[in-house]
Amino acid sequence: MHQRRLVSLVMALPLVFACASASAQEAEPGWAKGRPKTDTAMKMAPVPAFPIPTAAADLPTAKLKLPPGFKVETWASGVLDARELRQGDKGNIFVSTLFVGNKVYVLPEKAVDGKRQPKTIIDKTPYPAGIEFYKGSLFFATNKKIVRYDNVEDKLDNLGEPTAVLTDKLPGGDDHSWKYLRVRDGKLYYNIGAPCNICDPGDFAKIYRMNLDGSGVETIASGVRNTVGFDFDPKSGDLWFTNNGRDWMSEELPNDTLNHVTQPGKQHFGYPYCHQGNIPDPEFGWGKSCDDFAKPAALLGAHAGSLGMKFYTGKMFPKKYQGAMFIAIHGPWNRTKKYNGVYVAWPDGKGGAKVEPFMTGFVENNAYLGRPVDFLVMKDGSLLVSDDHAGAIYRISYAGK
Amino acid sequence: MGAATAARPAGAASAASTKTASAVYAERFANVCAACHGANGRSDMAGTPVLAGQHSLYAITQLFLFREGRRTNEAMVALAKPMTDADLRGFSDFIGTLAPVPTQAAPPDAARMSKGQALAQQHKCVFCHGSTLDGGQGVPRIGGQKEDYVRATLLGFKKGERPGYTRAMTEALSQVPVEDLDLLAYFVANVGVDK
Repeated sequence: MHQRRLVSLVMALPLVFACASASAQEAEPGWAKGRPKTDTAMKMAPVPAFPIPTAAADLPTAKLKLPPGFKVETWASGVLDARELRQGDKGNIFVSTLFVGNKVYVLPEKAVDGKRQPKTIIDKTPYPAGIEFYKGSLFFATNKKIVRYDNVEDKLDNLGEPTAVLTDKLPGGDDHSWKYLRVRDGKLYYNIGAPCNICDPGDFAKIYRMNLDGSGVETIASGVRNTVGFDFDPKSGDLWFTNNGRDWMSEELPNDTLNHVTQPGKQHFGYPYCHQGNIPDPEFGWGKSCDDFAKPAALLGAHAGSLGMKFYTGKMFPKKYQGAMFIAIHGPWNRTKKYNGVYVAWPDGKGGAKVEPFMTGFVENNAYLGRPVDFLVMKDGSLLVSDDHAGAIYRISYAGK
Repeated sequence: MGAATAARPAGAASAASTKTASAVYAERFANVCAACHGANGRSDMAGTPVLAGQHSLYAITQLFLFREGRRTNEAMVALAKPMTDADLRGFSDFIGTLAPVPTQAAPPDAARMSKGQALAQQHKCVFCHGSTLDGGQGVPRIGGQKEDYVRATLLGFKKGERPGYTRAMTEALSQVPVEDLDLLAYFVANVGVDK
């Protein structure tokens, strides 16, 4: 009897502990984990895109600053929550959205009566961020699944059911659950971000790839808190990606990073143990050394919200920019002083990269007039930039000598 | 600093047109909204939320969700459906100018209030809504909101029936027992009354 009571007590213990720790964690959204308890920090929360596109006449286009010889114009307005950009073989521009839009649009390459009207091809779908176009097919990823629409440009009036479901086993959820997609050499690359600000991520916080039918899932990079922008160097074929650093450590640290995958599947980029290559996490960093993780190629700013990334493959821009990476800095929400813009980065050939601002002017009175998200290099070499805050797409061209 | 003000144009010409717009939407609010929500943004009508003191970014988000049919309320969806983007902005900007109006309710029960406050701490409501539950930008002011409306809203989030841009509130409530919702609603509705 005595012994039995002891056994049941011991068996019950882990349950008690599990409940206790669950109740200590309850109700705290993942993004708020690690947030200090000061009034200022407590009032900072992710700000979703404004639910109304900025009217064409009120867009910040004329206020944007670029290097000499470059020009920016409004390419499309009224594109609510414009996020990722991809182009079909027949010229159609696909535009995804995130929290606000719940849609994927298609826009014509050429303006009709001076305007490009977004046409909704996917609607009422939460987290519709991940899109990629490859050999006639649109790959489309939400936080729960990745599907493929073949011959998509022939059925823009009614997409119907997807041709194939590559996976419906993605983890879903809120935090960092939206996708960025690229296809390279017959493989689809995608991210699974950490399900929190800072936590032990398990199989999350990685870049994966799969075959175009959903088979053969492989890990490409680990310890990646959340990447919403990656691309392949057209010269070396190497994968480069932006990574959003952890929140709440301080106003100025850690930085978002630009990273270079040199050994696919073998590198760990530090999360949650080490940030920006040299700062051990105050909690998860104990017993770990930053020397054991891959170093970033460049730092991109504190809480920068580094999103879309694209190697410039056009010929219109000066030689200096050919083969450079364009990076969309969305701008911080959990930092008092706001900043953002389009940055440009050059691989330095030694594993690192040099970064400088390319297009700025989206911030006025410490408030965002626009927030860049993703890029598309057009056939003529001009560069499209999406802006989810203003619901617009800009076109950057070069006319200097 | 907020996204709500960020997209607004600057300059003298647009300031003049904003002035006209604010007069227009003050009048339209009086004609369209006041019957249920009250001329000052607080009415006695059961189940109708207090708009006084609400933030314009939160208000425009809700009007948008009604217009899209993502948030369901027959009367509000019907009203929002024909609204233009300028209407959403005009109404929400006007709502943002309404000063908070405290409830006229009798001083609340001190014991229930202190239990409710403990729950609001435990369930981390103050984490986003602030220690006085006045919210900010996209986070609504909930302090002083009507008790029946708060209770229904919490239940709606808990059941996953009330949408937001994200599932943050549904996830926040997923581990809050239903029996705590009454006390939370009581506390939220009466915050600031007992002084």
